[in-house]
Formats: sequence, structure tokens, C-alpha cells
Amino acid sequence: MKDSAMPANVPVLRIENIKKRFGDKEILKGVSFELNRGDIKAIIGPSGGGKSTLLHCINFLTLFDEGHVYLNGIEIDHANKRELYAYRQKVGMIFQDFNLFDHLSALQNVQIGLVRVKKIPKAEARERAVAELERVGLKEHMNKYPAELSGGQKQRVSIARALAMDPEVMLLDEPTSALDPELVGEVHSVIQKLAAGGMTMILVTHEIGFAGSLAKEIMFMDEGVIVEKGPPRKILYEASQARTREFCDKIIHFHHREDDQE
Amino acid sequence: MHFSITAGLKAVIEGLPYILGGVWVTLVVVVGALFMGLVLGTLLSIAHVYGNRVLRGLTGLYVWFFRGVPLLVLLFLFYFGLLGALHLDLSPFFVSIVVLGLISSAYQSQILRGAILSIPEGQLKAARAIGMSDTKAITFIILPQAFRLAIPGWSNEYTIIMKNSAVTYALGVAEIMARANHVAARTYQHFWLYLLAGFIFLILTYAGTKLLGLLQKRVAIKGYAR
Repeated sequence: MKDSAMPANVPVLRIENIKKRFGDKEILKGVSFELNRGDIKAIIGPSGGGKSTLLHCINFLTLFDEGHVYLNGIEIDHANKRELYAYRQKVGMIFQDFNLFDHLSALQNVQIGLVRVKKIPKAEARERAVAELERVGLKEHMNKYPAELSGGQKQRVSIARALAMDPEVMLLDEPTSALDPELVGEVHSVIQKLAAGGMTMILVTHEIGFAGSLAKEIMFMDEGVIVEKGPPRKILYEASQARTREFCDKIIHFHHREDDQE
Repeated sequence: MHFSITAGLKAVIEGLPYILGGVWVTLVVVVGALFMGLVLGTLLSIAHVYGNRVLRGLTGLYVWFFRGVPLLVLLFLFYFGLLGALHLDLSPFFVSIVVLGLISSAYQSQILRGAILSIPEGQLKAARAIGMSDTKAITFIILPQAFRLAIPGWSNEYTIIMKNSAVTYALGVAEIMARANHVAARTYQHFWLYLLAGFIFLILTYAGTKLLGLLQKRVAIKGYAR
């Protein structure tokens, strides 16, 4: 949409055969997929299955041993620092534990990338940061420091911080799993708003209900491979692989039990 | 030596302006050494935390050396040994600042290293994730927090350097101790003059730690208790 010159069939992000080992443990055994503009894909699967490592590899926070990453059809060479830093601005990352900069106010957290990375003049960057915070509903809290914010507010600041860099893709690594249950909703609704705005996203999550309502495709990942992928309904209720069925049954039951108690 | 309060007080009062003149010398030596220690120590701590194996080894060696050798030995080694060998003519004042600064940098690097390591690693990841280089992330994200966390350690370092600066008297630096010694030798009122010197140091260490305590409160991050 943004680059009209770009052929429509080139995926925004393409991951090809990523392999990663830590010591003698193979965490990723060759993972490939692609995202078209506006795609939302969710990754589910048991802990230790490589989901988080995969997201970290996609923006080179963890360096993989083999494989390729393409943005708009162009392979990213992480050894070229300038290229890497430009790429990372295009691929926003949201972490499980927010990782806000503790010494900066909400506003400064969003502003600092604009000033120090994008070299936008301070006043203009401030305006932009305020707008991003407004987008996540935190304008009135913009002068608070991370320690003064709730978990949900912190995660929304971190989303605003990523959005300020004007990303083409967002990687969300269990964005609500560190939150108290009553704070999950506010973060989910911000993510839904992003989705409605057409943001391309990869969402790693344990919240299968949310994943199912948001994503067009769910990928089930276990032991370093994408075991199976497909539309939410198929993966959650009619998976073809035993491993997928076993996992989905467990968490669906768990969620139903939780619902019963309410 | 006959012990007389009046003679003692007389020597103290007469010697006071001269000895107080040494306060400035002491302060310049201490502040100069602390500043040099801060600049070098910051670089060393970064090398120690983020450097490769060679860099870590070298900083470790540096810290090991300057923490392990006594100040007096280093002062003599540099002033009488090194300057002679290099045919350099530098003042004892300057050499004292440099030697104290080198020692302080070793300690300060360790204070700051601890402070850096106590900052959650995720913040560095988050800085990288918005496209910051490691240099920017360290400059704008890590160090501003590490410096805050290091203030209590610095307070301690300040008192140590302040007290150790008295040893530079051995090179003939006209600081507080040297001047007290000088007056004592003239008036034979050693007890009173060393007491005075001790008292001046006490005030200087107290004022410095108070000042750093105020700084710590002033730069504290809101809502943040660690």
C-alpha cells in the first residue's frame, strides 16, 4: 500500500529456513513462512518450542545459525549495521515484560527513538510521541514514569514506542502473559485497534481465544518446527496432527474450566 | 613535650590560614582524581561488561594491578621511577592527581560495572529493537541509569580518595596534611595540628557525602525504589 511500485505479490516479511542451536540443543530446526501486507499470524505452542526465539531471530536480537530474512523481498544482511538498524525500525517488537526504559517518562520512552534514531527535532518528536500515546489511550499519563504505571499501561507505552518508529510489521512476544488478568483486556483492545488499522503482525500467545479472533492463520510450533498451520478453527478444533490436537485440547479445556469458575 | 592547651590553640589559630590554604590543593587533587577516575572507569566498565574476551582480560588485569598495589608505592613508582626513566619533568601535584585517578578508575569501573549489570537486560534489547546501535543504547539508556545506581558507591569512593589524598604529602604536595606537618614541625604542637588536619578531613568527607546524598535524591527516578 505504502510502496505502490512494489509488486503486490512480494510478501512484506519472509522467513526462510531459520535454524538456531544453543550449545547442542537445536531450538529452531528450519522455520519458514511469509507475511503479506495486513496479514496477522498467531504462533501458539508449548513453552520451549522455539516461539520466542523465532521472534528474536526475526529482528536479529538473537543471531541464527542458518536461514534468511527478507523485508519487501530484500534480504537483510545483519552484518551491515546501517541496514540492520533501519530494518529494526521497520519491524517493531513488543516484549512479554515490556522493557520500558525505567529512567524515562512514558512520553520520553516513545520520544527517544524518534530523537536519537530517526534524528527528528525534539519538538516535532514530542508531538509525534504524544500522538502515539493518545493512540494507545495514555495521553493523560504521558508524564508518568514506568514505576508509576500498571502493567497494562506499561505494555501500551511499549506499543506506542514501537509504533513511533513507523514499523511495517509488528512482532508481539506474549504481550499479555506478564499481566494480571484484569489488565489483559486493555492491551488486547489496543492490538485489535492495530489490526483494524491494517497492521501486519506476528503474535506469539497463549491466549488462543484472542489469537483465534484476531489472526487469519494460526501456526502451531513445537520442538523447533512449525508442526501445522491453518485457519484458527481448523487448528484449534480439527487439527490434523496429534501433537497439535493434544496441545489445543489441553488449553481449550483449561480455558473452559476457567470460564466455569467465573 | 610539654602538653599545653593554650600553646596548642595558639599554634592552631596562627597556622589555620596556611593550613586552610591546603584545602584547595586537596580539593583539586581529589576532584581531579575522581573526575579522571570517572572518565576512565566508565570506559573500563563498558569494556568489562560489553567487551570481548581480550578486552575483559585487559580490564581485569588493570583493575587487579591498581587495586592491589599500595598508593604510596604507586606514587613513588610514578614520580621517582617512571618520570626519571622517561626524562619527564612533571609536578608532584600533577603526578598525584594521575596516580589517584588511575587507582580510582579501577574502583569506579567496578562500582559502575555492578550498576550496569543490575539494569534489566531487556532494556538493551528494547533499545536495539527500535534501531539503536549499541553505542547509543549504552549512552542514552544504560549509563544514565547506571550512573544513578552508582552514586552510593561513589560516595564511598569519594571518602576513600579524600582520605588517601593525604598520602601525596610524601611527594611534597602542599595539601592539608603537608601543611599541618609543616606547622607542627615549627611549633612542636603535633597533637593539636594533626587533630586540626583530621578535623578538616572529617568536614570534607562529611560535606562530600552529604552533597552526593542530595544529588542522589535529586536525580532519583520517580516512583522507583531499588
